[in-house]
Amino acid sequence: MAQVTVSVDRPGSHRLRRARSRVPVWHLLWVVLGALFFLVPIYSVVQFSLQGILPHQNEFHWYLTVFDDPNFRSAFWLSLQISLETVAASLVLMVPTVFWVHLRLPGLRPVMDLVSVLPFVVPPIVLIVGLAPFIKSLSIWLFVRPEVLSLIYVVFALPFMYRALDAGLRAIDLRTLTEAAESLGASLPRTLFRVIIPNLRAAIIGGSLLAVAISMGEFTVASLMGFGTFAVYTFNIGMSTAYEGVALTFISFLLVWGIMLGLYLLGRGGASAAGVAITDEKK
Amino acid sequence: MTTVALRGISRRFGNVDALDHLDLEVRDAEFVSLLGPSGCGKTTALRIVAGFEWPDSGEVLVDGQDVLGKPANKRNMGMVFQAYSLFPNMTAQQNVEFGLRVRKQSREVRAKRAQELLELVGLATAMSRYPRQLSGGQQQRVALARSLAIEPSVLLLDEPLSALDAKVRVQLREEVRRIQSELGITTLYVTHDQEEALSISDRVAVMSAGRVEQFGTPAEIYSGPRTAFVANFVGTMNKLEGKVVSRADRVVRCGPILLNVPDPTFNHAAGETVDLFLRPEDITLELLSNGEKPPSGMFEGRVTSLTFLGPVTRVGLATDLGLLLADVSSAVALNLAADTVVAVKLDSTSLRSIIA
Amino acid sequence: MSVAEFAETELPPDVVVGDVPRKRSHTRRWAFLGMVPFAAFITIFLLIPTGEIIVGAFRTVNGAFTLSNIRDIFQAPYPAAFEFSVELSALSALIGGIFGFLLANAILHHGVPRWIRPAYISFSGMAANFAGVPLAFAYGATLGSLGVVTVLLKHLGLNLYPTFSLQGLCGAALVYAYFQFPLMILLMVPVIEGLRTEWRESASNLGASAFTFWRHIGLPIITPSLLGLMVLLFGNALSAYATAEALGISNLVTIDIAELVDGNMALDPQDAYALALGMIVIIFVTITIYSLLQRRTSRWLR
Repeated sequence: MAQVTVSVDRPGSHRLRRARSRVPVWHLLWVVLGALFFLVPIYSVVQFSLQGILPHQNEFHWYLTVFDDPNFRSAFWLSLQISLETVAASLVLMVPTVFWVHLRLPGLRPVMDLVSVLPFVVPPIVLIVGLAPFIKSLSIWLFVRPEVLSLIYVVFALPFMYRALDAGLRAIDLRTLTEAAESLGASLPRTLFRVIIPNLRAAIIGGSLLAVAISMGEFTVASLMGFGTFAVYTFNIGMSTAYEGVALTFISFLLVWGIMLGLYLLGRGGASAAGVAITDEKK
Repeated sequence: MTTVALRGISRRFGNVDALDHLDLEVRDAEFVSLLGPSGCGKTTALRIVAGFEWPDSGEVLVDGQDVLGKPANKRNMGMVFQAYSLFPNMTAQQNVEFGLRVRKQSREVRAKRAQELLELVGLATAMSRYPRQLSGGQQQRVALARSLAIEPSVLLLDEPLSALDAKVRVQLREEVRRIQSELGITTLYVTHDQEEALSISDRVAVMSAGRVEQFGTPAEIYSGPRTAFVANFVGTMNKLEGKVVSRADRVVRCGPILLNVPDPTFNHAAGETVDLFLRPEDITLELLSNGEKPPSGMFEGRVTSLTFLGPVTRVGLATDLGLLLADVSSAVALNLAADTVVAVKLDSTSLRSIIA
Repeated sequence: MSVAEFAETELPPDVVVGDVPRKRSHTRRWAFLGMVPFAAFITIFLLIPTGEIIVGAFRTVNGAFTLSNIRDIFQAPYPAAFEFSVELSALSALIGGIFGFLLANAILHHGVPRWIRPAYISFSGMAANFAGVPLAFAYGATLGSLGVVTVLLKHLGLNLYPTFSLQGLCGAALVYAYFQFPLMILLMVPVIEGLRTEWRESASNLGASAFTFWRHIGLPIITPSLLGLMVLLFGNALSAYATAEALGISNLVTIDIAELVDGNMALDPQDAYALALGMIVIIFVTITIYSLLQRRTSRWLR
């Protein structure tokens, strides 16, 4: 049998003894490697965009060149326009639909889940093949407008918009809220606009931000249909002038980063944002 | 022969002291329960013994050897978790065999031992079933068998029955105790259910806010609570506030009534404020006919509530000592109604005094 | 009150007259009407185009039925394009799967600083959106012939070019990995979290090392999910067009389709339909395999 051991109680001694084995070297290694993998290209972009500059020029020369280019502004503006139209069309289509399914047709939920995955089965490059005859017939009748692009983008944004709205509706007790509103005399459309949508603000904004990100960055359909969107412009510039192309790339990064930041802040202050919405209503 | 000792165990989470200089000594083959409300630190203490957490200071000795330097998978202790601990991709048999597999035992040895243990817990027929095909109670039995398969020196159980139905709980706790005494394994059992702790333990450590309030046999804990917390946490207690009149005679004045407290541990100076504790079953009632005065040694009480508890009825009484709860047999309670006046007698030998 | 008096009574606002409970079958039918806008949109912009593809794959330019398009895709230059597409997708899916899993596991580990996890998750959300033109140019700036890293390696004596190329298998796979990793991380985190701590601790308590745990419990449980996600990554890479185009890759199925649509290729434009159909079939199969494998894992994680 063991003898009685009297150990002096040195505070923290155990922690020290195990300090070495408690540091997860393996995992930290991967974290660091992963960080390197993701950050090196971004650093390279910044570095590269500040290179190739003649001594008498400003170090942000390439960025200034880009901003001065009127095509840049028109391309950016076009993309922005299309993004907003995509968001609008997406919301008008999806919000009432998902609301309706949750409220009256819960049996269709699995079908909706399936439909929301379809855009992945038919990726942009494939979809455009199927849309080509349709577009061709359209261009006979009328000049092909950017709005058509927006509608196509609604398809690409569909999975993300659906998931955001679906999650948002699941988080609120839709049935109870609707029944309460109806018992107070409100019609269904009024309920949707005054009661449900204000409570879905976070989900709506989240889905919209993702739709904007997709629209601003989409290249495949835009280029094959001949639109001069931001991504197409970036491609064309980059193919001829590497430095300007990289500067544009960094601008794209900042754009996406800004959108994601917006999403993140939204998530943090989500509850308070919804709260503000409700108190606004009360005023 | 395995003893477990926790000495001066402290652990801080943020600015909360989960454990505050905890001391505990468990004897060989003893079944000790850690009893307390959630947040008292009982699970943390257990996990420190198991090796899933480390204390900020203090030591844990098994047979006199400090085990804190050893990682969890080298301590040879068996642990049964509250739920969900069975490996879902293995059958009951494979689960039980796992510890032996790690120890590189041959297939025959493993199979034989798994068979033995599953029979011990009464689940020999469920050997090839998967956890999702077993009920909660059955899963916990397999978990117990699995932890015993490695012949651990210490058995640790973390609220193993909390997630089960009441009836299954009572059944299983008896079995756990039976198996434990048959095998003679030193055991630490964490629970918040006092009935559970009192019915199966050799000794119970009542914990609160990271400290052991009282460590003793179930009888000691129940009849001789030494702190107000223990008195209130374990069972129902009547609390009487009073002032000590005489230390030598052990007399306390509660309101207009003088109480004699024969408790040999009574050692309070005259003038001190004390709390006296008394269990509802130590109060007897006698019916009074109209206008009759209570006999000597008893005082008057008026019924304010009656709660049927099955074999007994808990009677709420308004008295000069304040509101009291008395347990009387339900047959007797049939004669009582709200506002009935009764004579109340306290069994003063059961009075416990604690400094207020 | 009389009927006339009742008719005169003012109804409170917002009460929709006639909104009385109907027979169940009536309500169901009316309810489906609410789905018309969505159904119409999906039909026009998703189902009809898909139908066009399926039909067009078997049609000549004049509309006659033919199998020649299908036959064409088995002739040069398409098989090489398919081969490269599959190789590239498989490689990026493999890299993405394995390292994505290791990364997801690492950021979830309890010993790793807490802030690393949200940092990675939010960055993954971003990185998944970089795919396309900006990503290709970013890698051009990094590992292109004049890229920052290329130049750095040259200083250290390592000459990447001409053996290395961003348009070659390894180079392109590296670029693809940039959007495959984040996808894998985002999708893998919930799966790993599904591994209950009780299993880990029980295994440890019974004497198992971390390796033993993963070997007998961890990996067996999540392998179906791991494989399923890798299959998903495969389909994801196969569909990529913008990134490949901006990198300048030429022998890829998606690039070929684009060329045909543009009319740049001196081949039968109807081949585009056949190629598109082929892609739909492949991706459909991958998604089916993915969901089957996911279901196997969730069976245990419940």
